[in-house]
Amino acid sequence: MKILKSWLNDWIDIENISNSDISEALESLGFEIENKKELNPNYENIVVGKVLEIYEHPNADKVRITKTDVGNNIYEIVCGAWNFDVGAVVPVALPNSKIKDNFKIDKRDIRGIQSNGMICSASELDLWDDHDGILLLDDKLLPGTDFSTIYSSNDFIWEVGVTPNRGDCMSYLGIARELSGYFNKKLKTKKSNLKPTISNILNAGSGKIKECNSYGSVEVENFNVTNSSFEMRYRLTQVGTRIINNVVDITNYILYDIGQPLHAFDRDKLFGTISVRKAKNNEKITTLDTQVRKLDSNDLVITDNDKPIALAGVMGGLETEVSETTTNLLIESAYFDKVSIMKTSRKLNLISDASIRFERGIDYKIQRYGLERFLMELKDNQAINYSEINVDDKGSLKNKKVILKYSEIKKLLGIDLKESFIKKVLKFLMIDSEVNKESVQFTPPSWRYDLDRPVDLIEEFAKHYGFNNFESTLPQGVHKNNKGSYWDLKSYLSSVFTSNNFQEVQTLSFVNNDKNFLFNPEKKYVEVFNAIDQSSKFMRSNLMSSLIDVYKLNYDQNNLSNSYFEINTVFDTSKNKIYEDVPNQNIVLGFLTSSTLSNTDTRLKDQELDLYYVKNILTQLLSSYDLEPITKPGFHQNYSFSIIKNGQIIGHFGQLASETQMTFEFNNEIYLGEIYINKLKLNDLKEINYVPLSQYPFVKFDLSFSVPIDLSAHLLVDEINDLLRENENSIEIFDDFQQENSRNLGIRIITRSYEKTYDDNETREILMNISKTLESKFNITLNSSKND
Amino acid sequence: MPEVNTDKIFAAFLLRLEEVAQIEDFDDIEKEFLGKNSLLSEERKSLSSLNEVSRKKYGKLLQDLSNNITSKLDEEKTKFKSKFFIQRELNDNNDISIDWYKNLGSKNHVLTNVMNEVVDIFAAIGYTVSTGPEAETSWHNFDALNTPDWHPARYESDTLYLDNKLEKLLRTQTSTVQVRHMQNNKPPVYIVAPGRVYRSDQLDATHSPVFHQIEGLAVDENLTFSDLKGTLEYFVKEFFGKDLKTKFIPHFFPFTEPSAEVLVSWKDGEWLEILGCGMVDPNVFKHVGYDTDSHGFAFGVGVERLAMIRYGIDHIKNFYENDLRFLRQF
Repeated sequence: MKILKSWLNDWIDIENISNSDISEALESLGFEIENKKELNPNYENIVVGKVLEIYEHPNADKVRITKTDVGNNIYEIVCGAWNFDVGAVVPVALPNSKIKDNFKIDKRDIRGIQSNGMICSASELDLWDDHDGILLLDDKLLPGTDFSTIYSSNDFIWEVGVTPNRGDCMSYLGIARELSGYFNKKLKTKKSNLKPTISNILNAGSGKIKECNSYGSVEVENFNVTNSSFEMRYRLTQVGTRIINNVVDITNYILYDIGQPLHAFDRDKLFGTISVRKAKNNEKITTLDTQVRKLDSNDLVITDNDKPIALAGVMGGLETEVSETTTNLLIESAYFDKVSIMKTSRKLNLISDASIRFERGIDYKIQRYGLERFLMELKDNQAINYSEINVDDKGSLKNKKVILKYSEIKKLLGIDLKESFIKKVLKFLMIDSEVNKESVQFTPPSWRYDLDRPVDLIEEFAKHYGFNNFESTLPQGVHKNNKGSYWDLKSYLSSVFTSNNFQEVQTLSFVNNDKNFLFNPEKKYVEVFNAIDQSSKFMRSNLMSSLIDVYKLNYDQNNLSNSYFEINTVFDTSKNKIYEDVPNQNIVLGFLTSSTLSNTDTRLKDQELDLYYVKNILTQLLSSYDLEPITKPGFHQNYSFSIIKNGQIIGHFGQLASETQMTFEFNNEIYLGEIYINKLKLNDLKEINYVPLSQYPFVKFDLSFSVPIDLSAHLLVDEINDLLRENENSIEIFDDFQQENSRNLGIRIITRSYEKTYDDNETREILMNISKTLESKFNITLNSSKND
Repeated sequence: MPEVNTDKIFAAFLLRLEEVAQIEDFDDIEKEFLGKNSLLSEERKSLSSLNEVSRKKYGKLLQDLSNNITSKLDEEKTKFKSKFFIQRELNDNNDISIDWYKNLGSKNHVLTNVMNEVVDIFAAIGYTVSTGPEAETSWHNFDALNTPDWHPARYESDTLYLDNKLEKLLRTQTSTVQVRHMQNNKPPVYIVAPGRVYRSDQLDATHSPVFHQIEGLAVDENLTFSDLKGTLEYFVKEFFGKDLKTKFIPHFFPFTEPSAEVLVSWKDGEWLEILGCGMVDPNVFKHVGYDTDSHGFAFGVGVERLAMIRYGIDHIKNFYENDLRFLRQF
């Protein structure tokens, strides 16, 4: 909401309070300041002038020549606008003045006539958009008066956020009420002085429904559609409202001023009884914006002899709209239920200044005052006849009494408040209350809907005490330096991947069907019902598709082949084993790297790696695990493995299917996988089995075997380890050479006894034993052996 | 008496020294003049055949020669060595100003770094990490948090739902973890809950359909508004620095009362909102089955916002595009 200082001053005397003090007050009262700025005239040297004579220009028929009194002089000024006559009081830019945006005005020859300045429109003075032509001023202004003194041309404006619980502060009156407490200044009142001159010809009431607590109306006759006052147009423009005509401007003005939305009907288009009811299903109304709205039984309508004429609280109907020729009015000032208005306005996507106020709850006792204020403003604008104000109030709204014990204040805020402070705050807030020794009994005023519990009033005390005046104390929790198993596990996994130069990424969780289908065709995907973008309306079922995108982006844009990982949630529609009633979702670690990585040494070629590189990272991560070949969509038919630890599948990895690789136009092989975090326990991963160091020298053999193509080489390593289980060993495969149907495997064995130095005979015996056992057990042949 | 002229031998030795080209030459010279087959050794062998006086005299002569050769040799060797290594290192003069290596070390995502840091700050005062599902029930995301059926936050324009009855959704705030945690744990509660949240916004400079929050919740006997204030002032100082000023201004959240926003005075003196907080609303306690007389406070902080403020990051989009040019800066 925008707050203009000069307008606020109508309600509370703040002219002499500094803008920074007001800013601080607003903020400490809970109005977040979104914007604030000083307003100054965007013109120089403009005076009030009175047009004394108008005559034709001898050489041009689109302009006229005026003789205009500017106080100390009478000037001849040429003017192209035709909306004024002799006697008009107008703003004049004298020679050597400036209008909007520093545009200089000087004496100027217009087709042979010297024009001594310019008569200005509102938009030329940067006041408001105006299509009428010249800005016409109050006749009573004296020629020569400095134009910038006829209104608050030096002003200040704040744009503040009003929290949704404070509908009462969506008006100048509301803000002023808060500030009057803060600055301890009296709220000014605006008295109305009305004498009805006509009788009502229409019968208006609030109907039978509880959603309309009260319906007020007044009739006006002999009215002319014209401009509203200069001041009103200035104020409305500053708060961002478009200027229309006096009736619309005044209803808008009252809405901002006191928070009561009003609606004006052309009375000559109404026929009988005005009432409020719920719409019938599929009932239609054409609203002011010429749209035909289809209604249902949740919507409230204003009716004339049961025929809908307005969408209550949201928008008026086109048929009964006030037009240029309207002379008689019916003005409505009602209280509609918050929830009904909210539902209708959201359903039809029609959000107006009125609907926003009804939604948050307006003062339920202010309907009559709204109409009084309307009549007062209109009366100031022109002579009118008006009827009695008629308010049909069901009286069904009443704020209930609440009891607040002082002990609750102390418990929540940790401070003792003095009785005098409590009384002072209650008075500021205009709350009816009875203050006792141990408690206060209070009834909130008709504009406060947020004070129906003891804690609500405690908040008010805290606010007025000043949040920044509270002491600060630091309580200690009960889990000192214990971040819990999930966080520790996540940190550990991250550290292993980052230490292998994988870059962590964060990608969006929404994908298209293809990205899920690529790796998880067997799953049903979680779909966003009101997706932002239909092309990515699914929650992802894997992280690998996202990682492929990241790889591709950086490959294409930055020419970098890098490794990536991400830890995030994946979704599918199967049953959730941890949380009831929500779709299945698991936190997984996805990772991806490529056979050719950009080298970190820029002098060298790219770094070549293969699937074994990735396997080694799994070894760093998991210490012990098994791999089991498994056919998986999206993966290479031979290079696709389940990762098994403690008999449980804890993840999957392999090489991206060649076809997919081609689809993405990758020249390099892609290695990728996922680890299911909820299947892991940090203690299992960090398992350490210490092997004592032998004090004796090692013996080393390099053995070369002829082996079948499909032999799993690790079986040989396991067997050798078993044969040498009494020793400290290092057994490694150092060569795997395949040609057509033959395959040679080189195994390096380094072994040390814990008891002695082996002599040559013993060494030979060990070698014999190993080769014989392996040959007979695995049907392989020793080709050569080397011992040193 | 002497058969050899020791001066001549020494002169020959000096001549040889001048020919030295590499360090190994010193070994050859030593062998030649002091080794088994050297003239000096030969002469020593013949000493036994001399009478005592001549032996002593000639012996001393030979010893002096040996000593002179040894010390001169050592001296020259040392000289040569130092000259040699100086010469050798003289050629090693690569331009260190070039960054051949582009390895920037291990990199987590900047959001992870921020979350880790916040978790560490709270772990140090006894908070542990709690988690909850991202696809949630509307009850956990709204009702339990005192956000009634008609509340604007529940509109489809703001919240992403997973069904047409609007019963399941993508959580819009990590406050859901408060609810889950309290349903399953008795007080005292001291938790932080970092995680992803979702809103119905297109990805652009200032909005993202996915972002991260860290929720905090403390429920314990005698916790007051002053404790909330002290805790968050501690956090802000730990995260942004000791000299930063903070202020608390009233705000509104459905699930806390009183509610506040914490602002910090940033570099140019501008006050920036950092987080929202408040005392847990009694209705929330009621919904999770706690005694409504319980006391505690909750707070929520936007991870992207912390990162953007601290590093001056201009576009929220950057966090989710994963361009290495961005990622590698942190």
